[in-house]
Formats: sequence, C-alpha cells, structure tokens
Amino acid sequence: MTTLEAPGTPPPPPAAATRPLARKRSRPSEQLFKWLVMGLTAITIAMLIWLISSVVIKGAGSLSWAFLADRPSSNPDKAGFNSALRGSVVLMLITIFFAWPIGVAAALYLEKFATQSAEASERKVRERLGSGVSGVHAGWLRVRLWWLRVRPRVVHLVDVNISNLAAVPSIIYGLLGLAIFVGILGISKSLLAGGLTLAVLILPIIIIAAREALRAVPISIEQGAMALGATRWQAVRSQVFPAALPGILTGTILAMSRAIGETAPLIVVGGIVFGTAVPSLNPLDAGNEALFAMPLQIYFWTDQPQASFQAIAAAGIIVLLATLLVMNLVAIILRNRYSKRW
Amino acid sequence: MTPVGGPSGRRKRLGGSVGERAMLLALAAAAIISILVTVGIVVVLVGEGATFFTEVPLKEFFTGTEWFPVEGKYGVLPLLNASIVIALIAAVVAVPLGLGSAIYLSEYAPERLRRVVKPVLEVLAGMPTIVLGFFALDAVTPALQNIIPGLGLYNALAAGIVVGLLITPLISSLSEDSMRAVPNAMREGAFGLGATRRVVSLKVVVPAALSGIVASIVLALSRAIGETMAVTLAAGTVPNLSWNPLEGMQTITAYIVQVSKGEASRGSLQYESIFAVGLLLFVVTLAINIIAVRIVRKYRTVYQ
Repeated sequence: MTTLEAPGTPPPPPAAATRPLARKRSRPSEQLFKWLVMGLTAITIAMLIWLISSVVIKGAGSLSWAFLADRPSSNPDKAGFNSALRGSVVLMLITIFFAWPIGVAAALYLEKFATQSAEASERKVRERLGSGVSGVHAGWLRVRLWWLRVRPRVVHLVDVNISNLAAVPSIIYGLLGLAIFVGILGISKSLLAGGLTLAVLILPIIIIAAREALRAVPISIEQGAMALGATRWQAVRSQVFPAALPGILTGTILAMSRAIGETAPLIVVGGIVFGTAVPSLNPLDAGNEALFAMPLQIYFWTDQPQASFQAIAAAGIIVLLATLLVMNLVAIILRNRYSKRW
Repeated sequence: MTPVGGPSGRRKRLGGSVGERAMLLALAAAAIISILVTVGIVVVLVGEGATFFTEVPLKEFFTGTEWFPVEGKYGVLPLLNASIVIALIAAVVAVPLGLGSAIYLSEYAPERLRRVVKPVLEVLAGMPTIVLGFFALDAVTPALQNIIPGLGLYNALAAGIVVGLLITPLISSLSEDSMRAVPNAMREGAFGLGATRRVVSLKVVVPAALSGIVASIVLALSRAIGETMAVTLAAGTVPNLSWNPLEGMQTITAYIVQVSKGEASRGSLQYESIFAVGLLLFVVTLAINIIAVRIVRKYRTVYQ
C-alpha cells in the first residue's frame, strides 16, 4: 500500500514540481463518491452505537447486585438474573469439556498426521504382508493398507464437511440435539442436553481455529525435533502443540463467546423455563437441572408485554455483552502476550 | 503387535510404538466425529421429516398457501416466503452498507483508521441475535412507527433491518479481504493512465474482486435465512403469505421456535413438522453455500 498513498487520500500538499500534472481540486464526483463510502461506513458504526446506547439507557437503571443475585420471579421488580448466570456457567463448562478435546484432537490429526505422505508406510505394510504373516495380523495389515489408500479422500471429505458445518444455521443444531440427546439418549431437557448441543455447535469452529493455530507454527520446529530422533507424535506433542496452544486457546475463547450468546438451539432443545429454580453450579448435576441461560432469560423477558420486563431484559443484555467483552479482551491479551513471531 | 524394529529411532519413526498408534487412532476418530455430526443432522432431519411427509403429501407441503397446524394445514409457502422477504430486506440494507464500508476501508481509509474500524464492524457480527431482536422491538420498530404511521409492533421491515445489520460485517469483511488481494500493480497501472481513485475503485478493484464480493453476499444471504431470534421477536409468529414488508410474518426459523416453546409432544405431527421445515431450511442454506463456493471457484482470478 505504501506506494499508493499519493493520489486522493487526505489531500496531499501540492509539491511545486508535480503541480502541473496533479489536479489541484478533485472533481465533484470524486468527492461525492468518497463521502458516499465514508458515509456508509459511518452509518454502520452509528447503528452499532445506537444499539448499544439504547440497551444501556434502558437497562442501566435495573442493574444492581440484587439483580445478579436474585432468582427469577413473575414480579419484574424482584426478578433476578442469578439462575441465568449459573445456567450459562454450567453450560460453558459442559460445552468446553466435550468440544475442546475432540476439536483439538481432530485439528491435530487433520493438520499434522492426515496429510503425511503414505508412501513409506504403504511400502512397509506391503513388505510385511509379503513376508508371510497370516490370520488376524494379515487382516489388520490389509485394513491398514485400505485405510492408507482411502485416507486422502476421507480427509478431503472431512475438510469440506467442516466448512459446511460451520455454515449450518444454529437452529438446526437445536433440532439435532432435540432428536439425539433428548429423543434417543433420553437425557431430560436439561442443562446437560443444552451443553451437549452447544458443544456440537462449536466443534467445527474450534477445529478451524485450532488448525489455523497449528498451521502458524513453522514446520522447521517439527523437523528440528524429528531430526533429533523424535517420532512425529513426540515432535507434535512436545514442540508443535505447546507452541500453538495460545492460538488454540484464543480460538477456543472466541468459539465460547459464540456459544454463550446462542439462544435458538437452546430453545429447541429445552423449551422455555418458567420456573424459579436456582441451578447448581456443579456440572455433574446438570442432567437434572432445568435449562437456564442468559440469552433464554433475556428472550423470555423480552417476550413479555409489560414494559418493566423490557427494562430487566435490557439489564440482562448488558450483563451478557459485558461477559462477551471480557471474553474477547482475554482472547486479545492472550494473543498479544503469548503469540510468537517465528 | 510388537513395535516395529525395536529401539532403533529411524525405524520407529515409520510405524511408531503401539501407544503412539493408539493415540493416532484416537485423533483420527475425533476427526471422523465431525462427519458423524453431519450424518446425524441429515439422518435426524430426513428421518423425522419422512414421518411427517407420510401424513402430509409433498405436493400439499410445497404448494399449499396456508400454514395452520392446528387445523392440519401444512402449506409451507407462507413460512418460506417470509424467510425470503426478510433475507431480501436484509440484503437491501447490508449490500450498500457492507460494500461501501469495504471500498472505504480498502481504498480510502488510512491504515490506522482501518485497524480501528474493522474490528468495530465485526462486533456487529458477533452480537448475539437475541440482542438484535431486542433492539428491533425496542428501538427500530418504534423509530419506524414515527415515520410510517400505523405500522404494527411486528413487521418484516424492522426484522429485515436488524438482520441486515448482522450480515453487514460479513459482507464488508470478506469483500474487503478480496479487494485487498487485488495487486497494487493494477491500481498503479490505472492511476498511471490518469484514472481517479473513484474510477480505480469501481472499474478496477471491484471487478477484479468480484468473485469474492458476490460470494460474500451469497453467504450473507444464507446467514440471513437461517437467522432466528431477531426475526422471531421482530416479525412475529403469525404465518402470512405476503410481500408487504410492513406486515408481520412468521419465518421457518420462527415457527420452529414457536413450536419448541410450546412443548409439542414427541411423535405428534407438530413435533415432526419442525423437522420437516428444518430439513427445508438445511437444504436451502446448503444450496446457497454450495453456490457461493462454486462462484469463488469459477470466477476467481489468482494474482501473483
């Protein structure tokens, strides 16, 4: 971009020598177009400011420690956000517990092992098949040979599949959760069912983010370790993975911030709870706890006709947005602090 | 099975010990799970949908103009129509805003400003949709009611506007990326021929980045059709086959939410109907995404 800054951007001081060549004033249409695109950008930002300020103005009055500590109530003056907060914490714990190991493992495989050339292994397996093994062992070797052959196609399929999954509307994941977790596995419409659904929802996001983080670690790190005699697995486990960890965690936090604001899949899985229960913070109890979550509570309040419920819905939104802000700040700090330039 | 070749490092690298193989197997299994998710989605939607379609003929579903489950009328056109109307309103809002921002950020804005504005725009994309729904009901609709007297509390216009806001950063971000991928030599060549910055933007950069721009708009449409909470809150829950954006209408997604809230008993026709419309939604968004990928692949020009 550096060579480009001259024509147009903030009116350059006309150097005497270039003056005959440069237009002294832009044509009106030039200015107009610049103002147009600038204006469109400004409108977008203005809408964001309008959104945030209207929520803050409406909700700030209802925000208090009591609001955070109280249980839900049919009386808007007494209704609190505590159950929703607890529900969201438990949901996030369950989501991370299931989505993180699977997502990171899948990313490790796809990025570091699946794309390795199969030639050497294939030759080796063939050799051993030829050297007169029999029975189960031969069968196993044939399975390995078959796998080495279909692997590139499977990996391609997984690749396409993950990017498509990331674009599936979240409400579809709700239907999946409803049919599988509630319908087939018989989990009650609980925090557990909701957390599992969100885990499936963010799995592709975590895989994509973790793959990017792994890709950012230069291949020379891995090669260095392997040159010293480490196996690929050892090199990845003790060198590549630790180096990619800050990036993976950043991606994970961003995926969580997507999950914590999701409403639609939770409604489909668990419906809307009218109760005034306060769910336990212990994730092991989640199978018996009614599905509470910040966005669900906000939806429930927003859907009520009385104006006073709108105010506490706005207060709930402030809490949700503040949580998101903190999560994003942590992600940014993590990235800036631990990201290495190779 | 014994580890191949014993302690010699070089041979170990080819096969690996049993423990390492087991580890690899576990990693591969994790990768396969992502395929199982897709299989699960398809099986669930098709399976439950099939039960639905044994009771409601496909023809009635796709050509019926009334969606009134209580009376057994399952014509999906009102729901599909509402989803499309709102996505189109969203596009009318988001395409100018998104493209304008993209051109400004890529061609006009100083680098320092760009670095601030871009993440700010992306805040909109990360906004939980329930917040946008609240914003539509609480701020956008009242503001519209001042301009358009007689506008109801639930209307497609406000829903479309907030969904438009949601997808604007999607368009601006992806379009800007592809505009910045246009090599400077092309801009400089045009400047050298005496073109102004506006001409360079519109006649050189935008055409060169067109595949990325079109793909971003198509992807944004797919996101708009799948959007749920904002349209449920802002456009209401009454199925209405109409192209009038000032009326309330129920989208596919809003119907799913409405039924889920009401605890339709498992196995009832209503319960199955949400999977049937979910299948339709899944197919529509998948088709749109495939189109977007095709567009990029077919028309992308790779610059050195």
